[in-house]
Amino acid sequence: MKLLRLVGVGFSMALRRSVAFRVNLLFDVLLAFTGLGTAVAAVLIVFTRADSLAGWSKAEFLVLIGTYQLITGLRATFIDPNLSWFPETGIRNGKLDGYLLQPASSLFLASLSLSSPLALIQFVLGLGVLGWGIAGQSLSVAGVLSWLVLVVAGLVVTWALSVLLACLAFWAPKLQLDVFFHSAWQLGRYPTDVFARPIRVILTYVFPMALIASVPSAALLRGPRLGVLVGGVLAAVAAAGLAGLAWQRGLRRYTGATS
Amino acid sequence: MRTAVLLGFRLRQEVLEWSGAWWFLLTLVVQAVVAPLIGLFVWSAVYPDDPSIGRYYVAVILVTLMTESFEQHTFSERIYDGTLSHELLRPQPVVIGVIGMNLAIRAWLTLLGAPIVLLAGIALQVGFDWSAVLRSTPYVALAAVLVFLWTFLLALTAFWTDRVHAIVGFGGQLTFLLGGTAAPIALLPDTWRRVAEVLPFYGMNGLPAEIASGGKGSLGYQLVWVVVLVAVVTVVWRIGVRRYTAVGS
Repeated sequence: MKLLRLVGVGFSMALRRSVAFRVNLLFDVLLAFTGLGTAVAAVLIVFTRADSLAGWSKAEFLVLIGTYQLITGLRATFIDPNLSWFPETGIRNGKLDGYLLQPASSLFLASLSLSSPLALIQFVLGLGVLGWGIAGQSLSVAGVLSWLVLVVAGLVVTWALSVLLACLAFWAPKLQLDVFFHSAWQLGRYPTDVFARPIRVILTYVFPMALIASVPSAALLRGPRLGVLVGGVLAAVAAAGLAGLAWQRGLRRYTGATS
Repeated sequence: MRTAVLLGFRLRQEVLEWSGAWWFLLTLVVQAVVAPLIGLFVWSAVYPDDPSIGRYYVAVILVTLMTESFEQHTFSERIYDGTLSHELLRPQPVVIGVIGMNLAIRAWLTLLGAPIVLLAGIALQVGFDWSAVLRSTPYVALAAVLVFLWTFLLALTAFWTDRVHAIVGFGGQLTFLLGGTAAPIALLPDTWRRVAEVLPFYGMNGLPAEIASGGKGSLGYQLVWVVVLVAVVTVVWRIGVRRYTAVGS
């Protein structure tokens, strides 16, 4: 409860800071629109040449893009402002030292205390595309519920992956994998069936981008599958546990930015 | 001649400096190849029996690696932190440093990305007509100039706004959509295709890749855009420098 209150206060302060710069707000809104527009346009081009892609229709693809955008928006709002470029901002510049001295969980402070409210525009636009995709589709209550559970699981996995990448900085402070992570993230916008088998296996089991959009969208459109649902929840629990463990191990190694 | 010598020195210096950041360069390679790789997989799924799709996208990956530009990081940040002042005081054009770093990064990206291109080529059993590859050289060179000019032009907006990354990001989206990465422009709907053929983005990416994979195209179209962008960059640079106030002055 205390942590939630901290998130709320941080969000409120960040929102007030953000709206003070109206031109920046305009830029962020425009970029969110064009970014999503580009993604949707790239898919619509494909559907001028084919009726389905890897078994996904145009409407289903829109659901996928909407779900992807939704999670991307939440990641950009609550996770990226904390963990992006962590080796530089957290370790080398000594911000982590400050977190360790504060009376709250250092993992929480380092991974969730800051936010970027303007990025929520992406979330809202994602909802719009999702609505566009599901218009005219018949959805089951079980499908919607399993979509919700899998989206939450996808978010937890996203947070855990970001923490794990940040933790690498405890062992290799110069290793900067943010660009790599953001590049791999783009693959989540497409169903894994589009990719060749080795990439499909990696995206499902090693770097589970499939869990971000593909799996929840399939559950929403084609109904829930117990195995997938349980697998998604277990993946989220395991990823979060691994992230917590890596953080603790990393902190044991950490001796301060100036030491 | 003096400019060429200065550029040579700067290039050597930058190549050596970046050689220590090979891991970061490798992540930049991954970033550069992801969009064309997605295009490759998507269009191969649409046309599974068409070998020209694989050939085209392998060429796009290579062209992208050879023409990547990061002036929003290498140049705009110097405006923001005020270190552009040091460059302005040197007895040489500022752009020499920018071009030197640009060429050094491209050389490293091409070198580090070559195995990915080879791997993709072998995996897809792509065969190239080497005379077409040779014929594409001037197109690739002009594409490199165009991408640099376009990115540098957008990076110059840092004189007016601190949202240069958003602006360059928007420019990247246009290049992705209309330059031949999202789809070969022959596959775009008619109206889009006509627009794409006129705008400069096709000359930055799709055109050299098409030539390398056996297609035809016009060098004149690229040259016209080079002239236009050089003129615009020159004007914007002059206005921007007049506006620039160094940090700490």
